[in-house]
Amino acid sequence: MSSQPTGGSRVSLKDVKKAFGNNVVLQGIDLEIPAGQFVSIVGKSGCGKSTLLRLMIGLDSVTSGVLDAPALKAQAARIVFQEPRLLPWASVKDNVAVGLGEGQSGQAADKQAADILEEVGLKGREGLWPSQLSGGMRQRVALARALVSQPTLLALDEPLGALDALTRIDMQALLEGVWQDLGFTALMVTHDVGEAVALGDRVILIDHGHVVLDLAVDLPRPRKRGTPEFAALEGQILDKLFGDDPRAREAH
Amino acid sequence: MAATASEGPFSRALPWLVPLALVILWQVSSSLGWLPPNILPAPTAVLEAAWTKLQDGSLIDNLGVSFARAMSGLIIGGAIGFSLGLLNGLSKTGEMLLDPTLQMIRNIPHLALIPLVIIWFGIGESARLFLVALGVFFPIYLNTLHGVRNVDPQLIEMGRIYGMNNRTLFLKVILPGALPSIFVGLRFALGVMWLTLIVAETIAANSGIGHMAMAAREFMQTDIVVLSIVIYAILGKLADSATRALERKFLAWNPAYAKV
Repeated sequence: MSSQPTGGSRVSLKDVKKAFGNNVVLQGIDLEIPAGQFVSIVGKSGCGKSTLLRLMIGLDSVTSGVLDAPALKAQAARIVFQEPRLLPWASVKDNVAVGLGEGQSGQAADKQAADILEEVGLKGREGLWPSQLSGGMRQRVALARALVSQPTLLALDEPLGALDALTRIDMQALLEGVWQDLGFTALMVTHDVGEAVALGDRVILIDHGHVVLDLAVDLPRPRKRGTPEFAALEGQILDKLFGDDPRAREAH
Repeated sequence: MAATASEGPFSRALPWLVPLALVILWQVSSSLGWLPPNILPAPTAVLEAAWTKLQDGSLIDNLGVSFARAMSGLIIGGAIGFSLGLLNGLSKTGEMLLDPTLQMIRNIPHLALIPLVIIWFGIGESARLFLVALGVFFPIYLNTLHGVRNVDPQLIEMGRIYGMNNRTLFLKVILPGALPSIFVGLRFALGVMWLTLIVAETIAANSGIGHMAMAAREFMQTDIVVLSIVIYAILGKLADSATRALERKFLAWNPAYAKV
């Protein structure tokens, strides 16, 4: 691949609390995330996992406690949302250029955009409108836009949640490959436990504003979903999520 | 089959069949004397009138005068409507201050102001400009405001996250997002523009297509009256085609406008 590794940066949270008015969303969060780690964050709807993500990349500020993330000071943190949020009136190339920020143009910028488009497998589609792309390809453009400025910290807020099952599998492989090539720290919120285990070096489970499980995933990549080790880890997370209610597990 | 109907020279000729048949029917009726010329002159008589008026130069003069009036009114009223639409779309204070008043005035048919306008401006050029400008103002204002208001807030948040300043955000996100709606306003405004101009020129003018028609009426020159109507139709069609061309150019990203 033509993009150079950018490296990652660490994130550390000490006794972090986040409240909106009287509503405490997160409390007593202690996390050390080393540079370059892929962290999956799972939890039920409304558990505070998206708020945690927004805190860690500076979209919200902590109510109390200490958040230390060098990427924020260096403005090297980026986010990919569930919806691609592309400008429909801008070509693929121009959408990616949005990620370069103000006043970045010329040959160097063009080269950066071209490199990252190749990295996400969109070479040759620079001139297309977003409406001419499939859902998976649009999300690739959003990923390229986030990565073109070479961030050291990338947040992914259910990035594959809006895609069909087959495209998801495709995109998981792409995401893993790009992360391995570039080496940024990845923080991914997902509601899919299988996806969390397949991609994360570590899976963090949030429940009612607390970290209730912090699990290292020590399986060789690329991971095979059918293996007993994989299933055991998935089971461990689901147990913690739903307790012993077999019907809830079945539904998941 | 639908596929064969949308291709080939036959399908391109299809929209012209009915107008052509009507003109032929009209010509035949006139030639056979079913339509007396003082009610409706034959198409050939209208063409003859057009030729005479072209040769003495009065058609081009009147056409130029009408066209200039229409465009000046459109530019003045459109620019004010566009600016206020942007202002009120971007600023909550602006909207609270101005929008209720404008919505109230909008419900008055602008042609109802003609007696007042004649008292204010006399029957000169400024009266006609005022009416056209007022007429085109509202569709452009309303659709610009609506367009700005309806830009996807998720795109605006995305722009902010990527560090766009207000100017870039406006030029790259808000204005292009509002453009389809602004074009809808422009097409409405063009319709209002011709309508207002016809009325204004018919009531009080000593030049322009509307005046040409009214002067011809006094001498029962039905051929010139019909010619004026045909010219208005052609002008309206040309304005609409110009807008469509602009839409195709600026909204090419939108599948609804591409290659229609």
